[in-house]
Amino acid sequence: MLYLSLFWEYLKNYAKTRLTYRADFWIEVLSDLLFQGVNLIFILIVFQQTESLGGWSEAEVVFVYGFFMVPFGIFGTFFNLWNFADRYIAKGEMDRILTRPAHNLFQVTLENMDPPSLFGSFIGILIMAISWGQLDLVFHWWYVPMMALLTLGAVLIYMGLYTALTAISFYSDAPTGILPLMYNIQNYGRYPVNIYSRIIRFVLTWVLPFAFVGIIPASYFLDAKHDDMASLALYTPLVGVIVFAIGLFVWNTGVKRYRGAGS
Amino acid sequence: MSRLAIDVQDLRKQFKVQNNRAGLGGALKDLFKREYREVTAVKDITFQIPQGEICGYIGENGAGKSTTIKMLTGILVPTSGQLRVNGFVPHKEREKFVKEIGVVFGQRSQLWWDIGVIESFQLLRKVYRVPEADFRRRLDELVERLQLGELLNRPVRKLSLGQRMRCELVASLLHNPSILFLDEPTIGLDIIVKTEIREFLKGMNKEHGTTILLTTHDLQDIEALCSRVIMLDDGRIIYDGGLEDLKSRWSKGREIKFQFGSAVTTDRLRTLTEGLTGVSWTLENGVEAAMWLPNEINVSDALARVVGSSVDIRDIKIMETNTDEIVRAIYQSGSAETKAAAAAALEDDTAISGAARS
Repeated sequence: MLYLSLFWEYLKNYAKTRLTYRADFWIEVLSDLLFQGVNLIFILIVFQQTESLGGWSEAEVVFVYGFFMVPFGIFGTFFNLWNFADRYIAKGEMDRILTRPAHNLFQVTLENMDPPSLFGSFIGILIMAISWGQLDLVFHWWYVPMMALLTLGAVLIYMGLYTALTAISFYSDAPTGILPLMYNIQNYGRYPVNIYSRIIRFVLTWVLPFAFVGIIPASYFLDAKHDDMASLALYTPLVGVIVFAIGLFVWNTGVKRYRGAGS
Repeated sequence: MSRLAIDVQDLRKQFKVQNNRAGLGGALKDLFKREYREVTAVKDITFQIPQGEICGYIGENGAGKSTTIKMLTGILVPTSGQLRVNGFVPHKEREKFVKEIGVVFGQRSQLWWDIGVIESFQLLRKVYRVPEADFRRRLDELVERLQLGELLNRPVRKLSLGQRMRCELVASLLHNPSILFLDEPTIGLDIIVKTEIREFLKGMNKEHGTTILLTTHDLQDIEALCSRVIMLDDGRIIYDGGLEDLKSRWSKGREIKFQFGSAVTTDRLRTLTEGLTGVSWTLENGVEAAMWLPNEINVSDALARVVGSSVDIRDIKIMETNTDEIVRAIYQSGSAETKAAAAAALEDDTAISGAARS
């Protein structure tokens, strides 16, 4: 309850400060969507060369991409910590966070909220709706709560992984380029993982479970494939909870090692 | 017996610092094998602060003041030792603990840069879960005392340093904390704001019984506020006690200023105090002179000599020893060893006087 009302307060303050710079706001939305658009065009180009990708049709892969955009947009809204090491550790702003009575990770994420990312989620829903029509799929009412549950699981996976990776800055003075690397790896999870080698497939499913953010949960709504990825779909929330718990643990342990900035 | 606000036992903090070797070759070596050395910022310090006390925490830059404050406020985890503040172990029960303390770091803002001051306060009200009615009452009181009225709607980035610092104080007190930690609260402020802040802190302490621990480089803060001083040097406590004690222990003598009715000469004055070893005179102008006398000599003895003579005295002023000078003398008294020796000598002193008393 407290955290919900805090969320609302921070959101109001975000609105007050950021909406005054309207142009800035729309440019951010536009550049976000442009980035996603390029990815989508890439998929379309691939399918000009081939009919199917590991047994998946164009409309199906586009649907998966649409699904992926929903948790990704939510994740981007709440987790905008790309400058964490610099701002909170090198400049010592973590001091301020740690002397306030709310969980420190929660405060940090709220302070850096980025609601424009949420537009990506809306576009994702739109893409799914369009490919749904193209694929001629049936629609059950319980797909809606199921979609919400799987999305929640996917968001938790992202949150957990990036929380753990961001927490590296507590352990190392100069965090390496691991975040951009990860940002590239995550993209593999949007394509049918059976097109990769067994090792990469294993890594994407069980080590850095990016497959659980795109292809696996999305396959739940599509026609069954021969390797039946959909059977794993219902594990998405469980994987989400586990990954998030690990991320939180790494973070909380890291905070104990925080040294502050000299002053 | 009053409860202890802060109880510190053998508190120690070590940092691992990377040794950077010089030059390109060194950088390459560092890439493969790093060398670390342990730096002990705070070396087994022990002290207690009862509730309602204002305690000054002083020392040179790098003496370990900020590190101690950060451990006391739960930001840093101590390497060893026991620590209880308000009955909590700060870094363990952080979120519960920080609800009852207020923190102001002079060098760093606690407020949100872009939003209006009042909005920052509202956000803090939510974070600290202060009921609306309490918040209103408290805010009104603080705003009136620090005269913030017209500042409340401005964004923090448009405030002057003095205005910002007053807002920081309000922000740290909105939830009515029982302990207030101030890390250099008056740094960079002009004398008027400094005085205002000192008066305000004194009032808070008197009316609400707020315990205050402050670090400062401005000894006038200490003189104005603190009944007690803890002095830190190189991670160790070299003095813990009253300000008056500090003065009398470390000062070597006093100064008495005279104003005479007619011109005098140094020779004439010297003959007056002949036989009193250590007494010296400096003539400031024809009719004003200062006499310096070591602690071993009674003020009354020396005064009697001068007053009893035939010189015409218009005014006498006994000068208090200035804390600034004393502290500077301690800082400058050479290496840490001599300071430690001096501190040890002091302890012997107290041991002897203690023994004599019993």
